[in-house]
Amino acid sequence: MIRPKFPILHVWLDELSELVKDEGILIFIILLPLAYPLLYAMIYNTETQRQLPVCVVDDSMTDRSRQFIRQVDATAEVNVTAHCTSMAQARELMRQRRVYGILRIPAEFDKDLWRGRQTVVGLYSDLTSMLYYKVFYLAVINVAQETNRNIKVLERQENVSRQEEQVARWPIRFEEVKMYNPAGGFAAFLIPPVLMLILQQALCLGVGMSMGRSRERFRGLVIPPTRHYKNTLAIVLGKGLVHFLLFLLMAFYMAVCVTRWFGLPQLGHFWELLGFFVPYLLACTYMAMFWSHFIYRREDCILLFVFMSIPLLFLSGVSWPGAALPTLWKVVGSIFPSTWGLNAYVRIQGMGASLGDCRPELMALWILAAVYFLLNCLLYMAEIRKAVGRTVFN
Amino acid sequence: MRQENEFLQKSELRPYAQKDSWWGAIIQIALRELRAFGRRPIFLMIMFVAPLVFLWMFTSMMSAGLPTKLPAALVDEDNTHVTRQLTRILGTMEETRFVLKTQSFTEARQAMQRGEIYAIFYIPKGTTEAALTQRQPTVSFYTNDSYFIAASLLMKDMRKMAEIAGLAITRETMRARGYRDDQIMGTLQPIVVESHPLGNPHLNYSVVLSNMIVPGIVMLLIMLTTAYAFGYEWKRDRQRKLYHLGRERMWVIIIGKLLPQTVVYTLLFWLLDFIFYRYLQFPCACGIPSMMLWGFLAVLASQGFGLVLFEAFPGQMRMAMSACSLLGVMQFSLAGFSFPVKAMSNAFEWLSNIFPLHHYFLVYVNQALNGYDISYAWVNVAALLAFSLAPYLFLGRLRNAFLNKEYKA
Repeated sequence: MIRPKFPILHVWLDELSELVKDEGILIFIILLPLAYPLLYAMIYNTETQRQLPVCVVDDSMTDRSRQFIRQVDATAEVNVTAHCTSMAQARELMRQRRVYGILRIPAEFDKDLWRGRQTVVGLYSDLTSMLYYKVFYLAVINVAQETNRNIKVLERQENVSRQEEQVARWPIRFEEVKMYNPAGGFAAFLIPPVLMLILQQALCLGVGMSMGRSRERFRGLVIPPTRHYKNTLAIVLGKGLVHFLLFLLMAFYMAVCVTRWFGLPQLGHFWELLGFFVPYLLACTYMAMFWSHFIYRREDCILLFVFMSIPLLFLSGVSWPGAALPTLWKVVGSIFPSTWGLNAYVRIQGMGASLGDCRPELMALWILAAVYFLLNCLLYMAEIRKAVGRTVFN
Repeated sequence: MRQENEFLQKSELRPYAQKDSWWGAIIQIALRELRAFGRRPIFLMIMFVAPLVFLWMFTSMMSAGLPTKLPAALVDEDNTHVTRQLTRILGTMEETRFVLKTQSFTEARQAMQRGEIYAIFYIPKGTTEAALTQRQPTVSFYTNDSYFIAASLLMKDMRKMAEIAGLAITRETMRARGYRDDQIMGTLQPIVVESHPLGNPHLNYSVVLSNMIVPGIVMLLIMLTTAYAFGYEWKRDRQRKLYHLGRERMWVIIIGKLLPQTVVYTLLFWLLDFIFYRYLQFPCACGIPSMMLWGFLAVLASQGFGLVLFEAFPGQMRMAMSACSLLGVMQFSLAGFSFPVKAMSNAFEWLSNIFPLHHYFLVYVNQALNGYDISYAWVNVAALLAFSLAPYLFLGRLRNAFLNKEYKA
């Protein structure tokens, strides 16, 4: 193999050839970032619950109650799969997990409505998932409100004209606009931040495994005790560059290919994405190198980094609104690039924000990158001193 | 003689000097494992520190319950007493706090892109005039659904407000015409929907999330540490010693090796049960003892899962751990507690069955949340048992690993 003159290139080539030879690392730096996003996107691709099986207990058995049930059945969210004669029967179906909700129409449903009184429809929902409740409730409440408006306008009030009828239904019209996630689904909300988290975690695992391997090979040192490894800057830059460049490719694979294949929000421009990925990946790379200093066996990093993924997702505040996060955990979260990166990416790619809109996040990422870079320099300086000591000793 | 005894006790080869009893071997292997914990701080870190710190973080995050008073922007181009009244109604709602009041929609949109607000309430110019002349004006509510939970909460407020505001106008008209209040309600809202969210009447999201994420994390750690503890023998090249120590019986080795972890993780699960159901008062219809039993079963199932993966890659610690981590993280999505399994495509609905967390989740729902009879979830209990026993099906592979496989760096 041709050995280049510059130590930085030497380190770079060394690290690269190490990575390529090691299948354990390749799993994490190639397979994981390539395959995992696809898997996630496929899981959440259906976006939301549709046609949830529910059953109906119709004690009223009238024309009007049947119409109500038909309307509920006609919604996209709910599918009436069973009609029960008693609540006991319905509950049994629920226990057997054959239906996830019960809609109960009272016996006096029709009578109440004719007398101009309020009538109460019961909705019993299984809470295995909150989404079951949400879709069932929405389906029934939408039908009820629509029916209410019809009753109010057509039966209870004497309106003169169509226009008046319309106004009586909705004195003020309200328009709901779901921005940046028109389907209101899970994929567009969860996948973009998860993509960024995968980048960071894969980087940590790859770097950690490679450094653990060095430690095992060179008896506790993270660098080989050879003459090419004397220059701190060259080592830190050379090693970092390998992972940085590889993951820059991966980042664009996620931001372009995965995003396009699964129709995720895609509002970021190339230069904005680049302007974000560079500090994010630098911060991730150097954080990975920093933490990996404290790992002495290569398998240990799997234990540590894999488990961290879930807490980091919560610390970033994208799944749980950031406003509700206690201060202590905000501080803890702020030392991880993912906390800033997830938010910045969601905003750039999902909401079309400019780099200027994400200034605090980008600043934080640059600061993190710089701090971790310097810490790495210090640690590698100590490491070189140890290596020198060992060669002299030997 | 005494010296010889001491030597035998220190030596790892003492089984040869003692009776050939399986329970003695199990205890020896378990003690050996405990000593290994002491030598590797990472074990203590993963088995004690990590889950407890995570539990602390999660409960303190969730203790506030659902987030309230989320930041939103108000764009009131009309700025009349009518629109201000609308705004006031919305401002009194649980989730909404207007942090930005402006005349320009662009400004609000930019604030949203900066991540300062989750929603924009937009009242266009001429709204009041149209309302007074019965021309049905439209006001808009924009939510940022990139932040799904925040957006859902704000949208809920907005829907409520829209309904109330519309009805309030009609109510005033009817009162003026001399209707009684019950007549008015019968007109305004003839059909009332009374919702009964079973098992979690306050719709406390923390209950669902904590009850799954925290045990899920523990189960992920169990899988990883199981593969790690076994692989570690190959790494240190001590697998043959363990093989002899276990009297060449695979089941003795498995039980002895995993016993200390089983104890620690079971205690951890029980601690979770007490924190959740006693201290945090999460609904637990089946009583804590039952949940303790299911927790124990979940520990065994996860250990079985990890060990089966180790048997799939015999002696290859890293491959087994990689498989554990790739599948273990996947199980959070496929367990079906945030995004239900029913909503996924059929392939994934089927795939979810190979994860212990999915079955533990369904047992939890059946028992603690709903308080049904366990016979309704027998499939899931059986699945958990199957996971715990699965490693014993491939003992041949494990034996082969002990005899013929070396650690691969």
